[in-house]
Amino acid sequence: MIRFLIRRLLWFLLTLWTVFTVSFFLMRAVPGGPFEGERNTETAVKQAEERRYRINQPLYQQYAYHLGMAAGVLSEEGKFRLGFPDLGPSYRIRDYSVNQIIAQGLPVSASLGILALTFGLVVGLVAGIIASLRRQSWADTSVMLLATTGMAVPNFWMAGICIILFVFMLPLFPAAGWGSLSHLVLPAFCLGAPYAAYIARLTRTGMLEVLHQDYIRTAYAKGLPARRVIMRHALKGALLPVVSFLGPAVAGILTGSLVIEKVFHLSGTGAYFVEAALQRDYTLAMGVVLVYTVVLYTMNVIVDICYAVLDPRIKLQ
Amino acid sequence: MPQTIRKLFLPTAISLLVVAVLWATSLGTLPSAEFTFNNGTEVKSLDPAQVTGSPEGRIVHALFDGLYRPDPKTLEPQPALALSANPDEILSSDGKTYTFSLRRDAQWSDGTAVTAEDFRWSWQRLLHPETASQYHFVLSAYVVNADKYNAGIVDPGDRVEIELPDRPRDLQLYPRGTMLSGKLLEIQRPPLADLLRELSDDEKAEQKRKWIYTVQVDGQQRKFSQQPPAGQDVERCLHVLLNFNQVGIRAIDPYTLQVELKNQTPYFLYLMQFYVTVPVNRECVEKFGYPDWIRPENIVVNGPFQIEFRRLRDRIRLKKNPLYWNKDAIALNTVDALAVESSTTGLNMYLEGDVDWMPSPPSEVIPQLEGREDYHAMSSLSIYFYRVNVTREPFDNPLVRMALSRAIDRERICRAILRAGQEPAYSLVPPVLTNYVAAEAPAYDLEAARRLLAQAGYPGGRGLRSIEILFNTRSDHRKVAEAIQQDWQRLGVDVRLRNLEWQTHLATTRKMEYDVARAGWIGDYPDPNTFLDLFVTDGVQNETGWGNPDFDRLIDRATREPDAAKRMQILHEAEEIIMGELPVLPIYFYVSINLVKPYVNGFFSNSQDLHPLPSISIDPLQKKKLVK
Amino acid sequence: MTETIGKTDPPRGRETWEQLLGEATQVQGVSLGRDAWRRLRRNRTAMVAMGFLIVLASCSFLVPLLPLQSPQAQYPEERAFLAPNFETFRLLVVDGDRADEIPLTEALAKRNQKIAKYQKEFSGASDSERIVLHEKIEAEGEGKRKILNQLWATPNGWDRLLISVRLWIFGDWCVPSLCGTDDFGRDLLSRLLWGSRVSLLVGIVATLVSLVIGVIYGATAGYLGGRIDNLMMRIVDILYCIPFIFVVIFIISILDEEHIKRWLLEWGIDKTVIFYFVIGAIYWLTMSRVVRGQVCSLRNEQFIDAARTAGASTGRIIFRHLIPNLLSIVVVYLTLTIPSVMLFEAFLSFLGLGVDPPQVSWGILASEGMRVITPLQNLWWLVVYPGLALGLTLLSLNRLGDSLRDALDPRLKNR
Repeated sequence: MIRFLIRRLLWFLLTLWTVFTVSFFLMRAVPGGPFEGERNTETAVKQAEERRYRINQPLYQQYAYHLGMAAGVLSEEGKFRLGFPDLGPSYRIRDYSVNQIIAQGLPVSASLGILALTFGLVVGLVAGIIASLRRQSWADTSVMLLATTGMAVPNFWMAGICIILFVFMLPLFPAAGWGSLSHLVLPAFCLGAPYAAYIARLTRTGMLEVLHQDYIRTAYAKGLPARRVIMRHALKGALLPVVSFLGPAVAGILTGSLVIEKVFHLSGTGAYFVEAALQRDYTLAMGVVLVYTVVLYTMNVIVDICYAVLDPRIKLQ
Repeated sequence: MPQTIRKLFLPTAISLLVVAVLWATSLGTLPSAEFTFNNGTEVKSLDPAQVTGSPEGRIVHALFDGLYRPDPKTLEPQPALALSANPDEILSSDGKTYTFSLRRDAQWSDGTAVTAEDFRWSWQRLLHPETASQYHFVLSAYVVNADKYNAGIVDPGDRVEIELPDRPRDLQLYPRGTMLSGKLLEIQRPPLADLLRELSDDEKAEQKRKWIYTVQVDGQQRKFSQQPPAGQDVERCLHVLLNFNQVGIRAIDPYTLQVELKNQTPYFLYLMQFYVTVPVNRECVEKFGYPDWIRPENIVVNGPFQIEFRRLRDRIRLKKNPLYWNKDAIALNTVDALAVESSTTGLNMYLEGDVDWMPSPPSEVIPQLEGREDYHAMSSLSIYFYRVNVTREPFDNPLVRMALSRAIDRERICRAILRAGQEPAYSLVPPVLTNYVAAEAPAYDLEAARRLLAQAGYPGGRGLRSIEILFNTRSDHRKVAEAIQQDWQRLGVDVRLRNLEWQTHLATTRKMEYDVARAGWIGDYPDPNTFLDLFVTDGVQNETGWGNPDFDRLIDRATREPDAAKRMQILHEAEEIIMGELPVLPIYFYVSINLVKPYVNGFFSNSQDLHPLPSISIDPLQKKKLVK
Repeated sequence: MTETIGKTDPPRGRETWEQLLGEATQVQGVSLGRDAWRRLRRNRTAMVAMGFLIVLASCSFLVPLLPLQSPQAQYPEERAFLAPNFETFRLLVVDGDRADEIPLTEALAKRNQKIAKYQKEFSGASDSERIVLHEKIEAEGEGKRKILNQLWATPNGWDRLLISVRLWIFGDWCVPSLCGTDDFGRDLLSRLLWGSRVSLLVGIVATLVSLVIGVIYGATAGYLGGRIDNLMMRIVDILYCIPFIFVVIFIISILDEEHIKRWLLEWGIDKTVIFYFVIGAIYWLTMSRVVRGQVCSLRNEQFIDAARTAGASTGRIIFRHLIPNLLSIVVVYLTLTIPSVMLFEAFLSFLGLGVDPPQVSWGILASEGMRVITPLQNLWWLVVYPGLALGLTLLSLNRLGDSLRDALDPRLKNR
C-alpha cells in the first residue's frame, strides 16, 4: 500500500511536469496573444506590457521562470525561495494573481459539484438497480428512457427549460446568482442530471453483467435473501464501472462547468477553462489545468484503491 | 488489503459524502444592495491607468473623481474637482493653456487632501512607458511634450531624468529608484549589423536598449545605458526619459493645475471627464504596489463610492464614501455591480427583479421589449463596419469595393435582423454628432452595383474569385454576415463565411490575412476625429492597407485648425475621400439599449451610454408598489 | 466413436449420417454475428430504432433530392418567426439585371435559352466570334452555378446532381414550413435536415476514430499488462489533463493557414472532416480506459489461457479472442460517446471553432433556440424541434445499442 502510494506520487510529479510542459508550449503555439484587443495597441505599449509579464523573453527562459514559480522555488522577481507554488499574475484579470483567482473560485465550484454529484450518485444508483432487477418491465423502460434523455439533451437546453419552468411559470427558485441554498437547487440539478443518467446506465449494465456470474448463483443457492445478495454481492461487482467513471467525472464536476456557471451566474472556476484559453491568459489557463490535474490524479488514485477494496482479485501494485 | 479496511470502506465513504454536503450547503448570504446593475463582465482592472472598457469605466467613475464629470443628460462637462468649466475662466487667450482651480474640500478616503500634485503625479504615472497604458493618448496626443515623454524619445540638448536600478521592489514602477536629472549631451547608437535589412519594431526596441546616453549631471558627465556594454565606463539605468518638468502639466500651487496643449483642442474638457484622467493616491500606490493597491482592503479613493467587497466574476459591492466632498448629493448607500456575461441570464435576473438596470438585452427579444416603460434605446457614438483588405486582388479595385458596398441592403439588416432601431451607416461618423455633416457613400442599389462590377471587369461576377467574410463568433455578427452573404450572392459573387474566436480573429486581421473582416469602433470623445484618424496611412488601427496622402493631409490640418466650423468642413472633406474609396464598408451605427426599472430615478439615455451612479436614486414607494 | 454409437443405436443408413453431419455444420455455421442479428430482429424497439436511424441517415444523405425550402434563403421581413403552417412556398432567386425575385426554374430556363442561342450561333460563327461565344456560354454556366449558391451553400457535384433531379421532379414547389421558421424566415425543417448531415457525420466519424484508437490502445495495454500497461495508462492520464481547447484551437489554426488549406483542398479534404477527426482523437481516452479494464479481467479467463496454450500469437489473441468479447461494453460506451461528441460539436461551434455558417448543425440550432426562449415570447418550435431531433436520434441510438449489447452477449448465444 505504502509502496503503491509512493510510486503513484512519483508518477504524479512526472505527470504534473509533463502536463505543464505540453500545455505551456501548446498555448504559446496558438495564434494571438494576451495583450490584444479591438483597439490595436502601439508597439511601445505592447512591448512594455510584454516586458512586465516577461513575454518578450526567449521561450525557454519563460518556461524556466514559470516552472520555477509553479514548483515553488522561484519568486516573482526570479530569485530563489522555497514556498507554496506561485502561478504568477493573471494577464486578463489584472488585479489578482492566479492563486487568488483559483482560491476564490474553487470553493464555489466544489460546493456546487458536491451537491450535483450527490444527487447524481443517489438517483443514478437507485434507478440503475431498480432497472436491472426489473428488466424489460415498465420501470426499466421508463428509467432508461429518462436516463437516455438526460444524456441526449444538451445541458444549456436543459438549464433553459428548467428556468422557464421553475423560475417563471412556477416561481419556486431564483433565476440566477449565489447566496442561499435555493440558488443552488436548479444548477445542481442541471449539472447532476447527466451524471445521474450515466450512472444509472452504467449501474444497470454492470448489474446485468454480474447477475449472470456464478458467485451470485451460489449466493442464491446458499439461500441468502435476495436483498442481501444484491446489496452485498452483486452491487459490489456492478459498482466497478461506476467507480471508474466517477474518477474523471468527479474531477470534472468539482472544477466547474462553463455552461452552468454562465446560465446561473455562478463564480466558479469552470468558465476559466475555456475563457482563459480564448483570451490567451496563459497563466490562468495553466493554473486551472494544473488544479484539474491535481484533482484528477487524486481521484484516479482513489479509484484504484476503491477497485482493490471492491474486487479482491485486484492487487495494488 | 486487510479485511478491516474493506469493512470500514463503505461507512467512511458515506460519512465523507455527508460531511462534504454539509460543507457545500453552509453558505454565507449577502443582503442585497439598494441598487443592483449588471456590469456585463468581470472588470479587467480597476487601476485607472490600465482600464480600457466601459464596464471598468463605470466602476472607476464611481470610485474616483477627476476634474470633470459628464452631465447624465447632456454629457457636457460638469465641474467635479475643478471649480469651473467656463472657458473664459480657465482657458488662455491663445486657446492652448488651461488653468484649473481645484476645490479645496476634496479629500482622499484616508483623510488627506486632493491636490494638483496628485494630478501631476497620476498623469506622470499614466504617461510613463512602463505603465503601458493603452489610453495614454488622452494626454500624450494633446499635451506639450507628453508624447515625447511617453515614447521615451530624447534628443541631445534636452533636459532628461534618469532612473537608477535601485528600486525597493524590482517589478514595481513605484516607489521609484534614485532619480537623477541633467542635460543630455550625446547619444551613442551602436552600429547596426545589417543596414540593408528593415528592422522590425521589436528589434528596434531591442537596439534602443543598448544606446549609450552621455548626460551632464550636477556638473559632471556620466554615461548611462539600459543594457550597458561590458568593460566600459557606462552605468546601468532603468530609463532615460525627458524630464517631466518639460511636459506641459504643472502644479502651480496645491490647488492650481495648469495644462499646456500643443494645439487648440475644442474637445479637451470632454477628455478630462474620461476615466483614465482621474488622480490616484500616491501613498497608497507606493505602499502596496500594483496590483495590490486596488484590493478592497488597500485602495484609497476620492470618489462618491468605496469598494466594500469584490468576488471575481460575481459582483463588486460599492458603498457610499463618507468623506466624499459632495456626499449629500449621493442617494445610494450600497450598489452592486454584477458581472453577468450571458445576456439571457441577465434578462432573467432583471425580469425576476434581482437587477434594477440591465444594459444590452439579447437582440432576439427586443421586439417584445420595445415600447415598454422600462425600455431605453438611444443611438450611440459607435459604428459597426467591415474592413476590406485593399492589398489583395480584387479589392485593390475601388469599383469592386463600391459595388460590394452598394449591394448591401443596410436598411433591411437594421429593420428586419437587428430590430433595435440601429441606423444604417453610409458614413464613418455617426449622426449623433449634430455639429458635423457626414459625407455619405451611395445607398443600396443592386442594379447599380451590378453595373459597377461589370465596369470593374467582372460582369455578373464572372471571373471574380470567391471572397471570404471573417467575423468573430457571436450570434449577432453571424446574422449580419449571413445577410451580407445573401446580398453579395445576388450580385453574383461567391461568398464564404469564416467565424473565428475573438483572439484569433484579431490576430488574423492584424496580420492582414483576410478579405473582408468585421470590426467595430466606439468613439472615445464626441468628435468626428475619433473615427476618421483611424485610417491615416499606416495608422495603428488602419489594418486595411489603404492610404491616401490627401486624406492624411486633411486629418493633420484639422488637428491644427482653430476655427470649429472650418475644422468640421476639413474633416468632412476627409470623410468624402474615404467614403469615395471605401476601404471600409460601414454597416450600421450601434444603439445602446438599457432596461431600467421604473422606480430608478436619475437615469438618462445619452449617446456615449454613460450613466453616472452618483445621480441615480431609487423611489422606494414606487418600488414597493411594483414589487407587490 | 462411430462404433459406440453403432452399438447402442440401431444401424442407420448413409442418409442419416449425412443428415446428422448437415445438422452439425448448420449449428456450427451460426456465427456470433448472424446469431446476434437473429435475436436483434426479434426485438421490436430495436428494429423501430434502427428503421428510424436508417430513414434519417438516408434523408440526410439525399436531402437535396427532397422538395424542401432553401436552408439559407432569408426572408426576415416577410417570413420571420412563422409558426408551423401548411402554406407551400417556392424557390426564389434574384438573377439577371433586375433586383426582384423570380422562381428558380424560370431563372435557370432563361440562362439555358441563352446558352442554346449561343450554341446555335456557334456553328456558323468565325473563329474570333467563336471565342466570344464560348466565353458567353461559359459565363452563363457560371451564372447558373451561382444561382444555386443563392439557395444552397456551394453544393458539390453530387449535390448539384440531386438538386437538378429534384428540380426536374418537383420544380419550384416546396414543402410548407411544417416546423416553422426562424428569425431570418428560414425554414426550420429544411435546416434540421441539412443540419443532420453535420451532426450525424460528426457523431459517426469522431466516434469511429475514438473507437479504433481506444480499443486498440486499451486492449494492448490491458493484455500486455505490467510495466507497459502502467506506462500506457500513465500516458492516458497525462493526455486527460491537456486542455482540449488549446489542442482544438491549435489544430484549427494550423489548418486555417492559407497554404495548408489549399494543400488539403487539393487532396479533397475539407476542414470540417479533419475537425471531426480531431474530436475523435480527443474522445478515445475514456474508451481506452474502459477497454483496458475489461481486458484486465478477461485476461485471466480460461479461454485466453487455452488460446495461449494452443500457441496463438499476441496479435491473434487480442484481435480474435479479446476484442470480440469486448463488444458488449464497447457498444454501450459507443452509445454514450455519440451523444457527447454531438454535444461537443455544438459547444465548439458555439465558441467559433466548429462549422462555418451557412452550414448548420443540430447543436447550433438548439443553442439558437435557447436564445429566443424567454418569458417574453413563445417561439416553442425553435426550441422543441432541434431538441426533439437530437433527443430522438440519440434515443434510437441508445435503444439500438442496448439491444445490440444483449444480442452480442456470447453467454446468451443461441437462446
